[in-house]
Amino acid sequence: MRNSDTHSPPLGENGGVDDTSSDPGDRQARVDIRGLWVRFGAVAAVRGIDLTAEAGRATALLGRNGAGKSTTMRVLAGVIPPTEGLVLVDGIDVREDALAVKRLTGYCPDVGGLVPRATPWEHLQLSARLRRLVDWEDRAHDLLERFELGDVAHRVTSGFSHGMGRRLSVVLATFHEPSVLLLDEPFDGVDPLGVEATLEVIADARARGAAVLVSTHLRDLAMEACETALVLRGGATVAELHAHELLGEEGAGVYRALLD
Amino acid sequence: MSTALSWTELRSGREDLGSLLAFRSSALSRSGHRRVRLGGGVVLLLTLASVLGPAYLGGETPRPHSGSLLALLPSMCLGFLVLAVFTAVASAGGRELIPREEAVAFPVSPTTDHFGALLMAPLNIAWIAQAWALLGITAYALGPTRWWAYVLPVLVWVLTATALAQVVGWIAEGVRRGPHGSAIFRSVVVLLAVGAGTLVVTDRLTPVLDRVPTDRILLTVLDGSGARWVLWGTGVATIVLIGLAAVVLGGFPARWALNRPMREELRLESGRHQAKAMPGSDFVMMLRIDRGAVWRSVPLRRGLMVLALMPGGVALAGRLEWQMLTILPGLVASGCALLFGVNTWCLDGRGALWRDSLPVSPRTVFLVRGVVLLEVLISSAALSLVLAVLRAGRPTPVELAALICSTLVVAIQVVSASMRWSITRPFSVDLRSARATPAPPVVMAGYSARLALATTVTGLIFSGLAQVDDVRYVVGVAIVFLLWSSWRLERSAERWEDPVTRSRVVSVVAAG
Repeated sequence: MRNSDTHSPPLGENGGVDDTSSDPGDRQARVDIRGLWVRFGAVAAVRGIDLTAEAGRATALLGRNGAGKSTTMRVLAGVIPPTEGLVLVDGIDVREDALAVKRLTGYCPDVGGLVPRATPWEHLQLSARLRRLVDWEDRAHDLLERFELGDVAHRVTSGFSHGMGRRLSVVLATFHEPSVLLLDEPFDGVDPLGVEATLEVIADARARGAAVLVSTHLRDLAMEACETALVLRGGATVAELHAHELLGEEGAGVYRALLD
Repeated sequence: MSTALSWTELRSGREDLGSLLAFRSSALSRSGHRRVRLGGGVVLLLTLASVLGPAYLGGETPRPHSGSLLALLPSMCLGFLVLAVFTAVASAGGRELIPREEAVAFPVSPTTDHFGALLMAPLNIAWIAQAWALLGITAYALGPTRWWAYVLPVLVWVLTATALAQVVGWIAEGVRRGPHGSAIFRSVVVLLAVGAGTLVVTDRLTPVLDRVPTDRILLTVLDGSGARWVLWGTGVATIVLIGLAAVVLGGFPARWALNRPMREELRLESGRHQAKAMPGSDFVMMLRIDRGAVWRSVPLRRGLMVLALMPGGVALAGRLEWQMLTILPGLVASGCALLFGVNTWCLDGRGALWRDSLPVSPRTVFLVRGVVLLEVLISSAALSLVLAVLRAGRPTPVELAALICSTLVVAIQVVSASMRWSITRPFSVDLRSARATPAPPVVMAGYSARLALATTVTGLIFSGLAQVDDVRYVVGVAIVFLLWSSWRLERSAERWEDPVTRSRVVSVVAAG
């Protein structure tokens, strides 16, 4: 699969970004958020979040409902404009050029994410067309098979179960091999095989030098997929931890304490 | 499962209806409540005006043409019933008081659903306008003396006809949901259409209409006017009893129909749609997706078919003249917009967020959606007009120009209003069920009134211009209308391009 545009970052011979193999301190920041505020009228959904996501790294966004995880994801996807603060994706300001940011990101929304009366193949075709992808069909077939959606590729998505819809949303997010992969609740209602395929997709994205952000309530899965975690509460960051700090019973206690 | 309908269920259905109405009402903001009260007050006032105006301001009695108008009353009452039946059948039995996906957590019985559908049937400008016409014509023909006595039978008939239509609507929906239901339903529709066509072609429609049982309503009206109170009371009581029976007995077909699987919806969802070759432009690709969203939706397909064929069929039967045909495109376009256009982003459903994350200019997205809506309006109006002109004779160049211009103008007018409303008031709606509407019932009633008023006035202006023997006037007025609507459309496009506005719309639409 090739992208006929030149918005993607340069890829190394093995598909990874050249600078991912260097010292972690030199890793390229794919996402750089400084003092992000998002307000809906009088309500502030996000209150001054700072976040950096590096190439080849996966970061989990954790927190209770209404913590600001999905809103942050939507800002990064170019769907919601920031009210205040700086949001850079591969150096591009989302406020200045949302279209360029949309070319760089792949987004799996937390709700639905599928056009009800279009088929999975039509979703992929639309994405391929708008992202100027060429020779994309083999990758599309491969992804649909990996997520066990090959049999329903030409059925409208309104008849899909919740889990099938989630799996297709992950396929759509990763299909064009974005520089920044944004997965909002990708494991919600997904069967073990779908979870496995999603973890593989995250690993593949990291291997090719993408930054991955995963928002989920499933702490164990998040820690399996990510190296770091940002815990949000009431729209603000309360902690930034390494995955091993949130593992097991002890990690559960640490996480529980951060939520209150 | 028992299909028995008990008094207990009827009573609980009535109580549940109250709870559902309270639930609906609680979702309204303070300004929403104010708008509903205002709208209800205006409709009530206009209803009174439709009676008292013609009754008191129609001049000395007996009035010119009053005999002919009264002779037409039975046919008009039958026409009201036919319209109500069309509405109930097209909306798969009737509209939902609470959308199916919201009601799924609550034990809403088919009886409650039946009562809710009945309650919402009048929230439709075609129903209201027809009722006003019936009341107004009767009042004009009989004058101010004892107006309440002759108005009451007509008013009671309007409600009874609605209840009867609801029964037919549920039966039709039950048949549709059965094995080979679509084929059976279509065969019945074709047979009825052939029958009606035969009556029209053989000029036997008028003799048949002269013998319709709705002549009893005219007799009761005349009894009221002539102070023959026993006969009048018997007549009114008979109509009321028929109506009450329809309300109660309607619960049976409602229960039968709603307990059957939604075969057509399930067939569409499980069917395969073969992949087509990648189109050469973003525009065409998005157009394909949006067209699919329209034509793969059961309520939209049914609604569009009814709107493309019914008004044209009525015009054909009534042999409307070319000058009057200018009103037809507005009716069809308004009806089509009410199927999805007034909340056009709901075609994306819960995929709205994903679609907005795709790298494409918002203006292109706006343009594509506008084009899809426009082509649906124009094609439905054109199909209706093709039927309507079959018996309209040969037009003059001015009449032809007026009809073409009227069609274009109302289509752009309706697209402009629809795109504007879609941005101002988006709703999260799943247009999967054949009973779904793109906005809540009260909002739909407001939209239908505003569209009907604007397009009817436009149609009448072109009807007047068709009598002026100069095509240049027709084209000139059309250009003014088109420029105005295009300017408003451009303003809506600019609003859509604003990321804050767009994010609000897609978040609401995707929230279902």
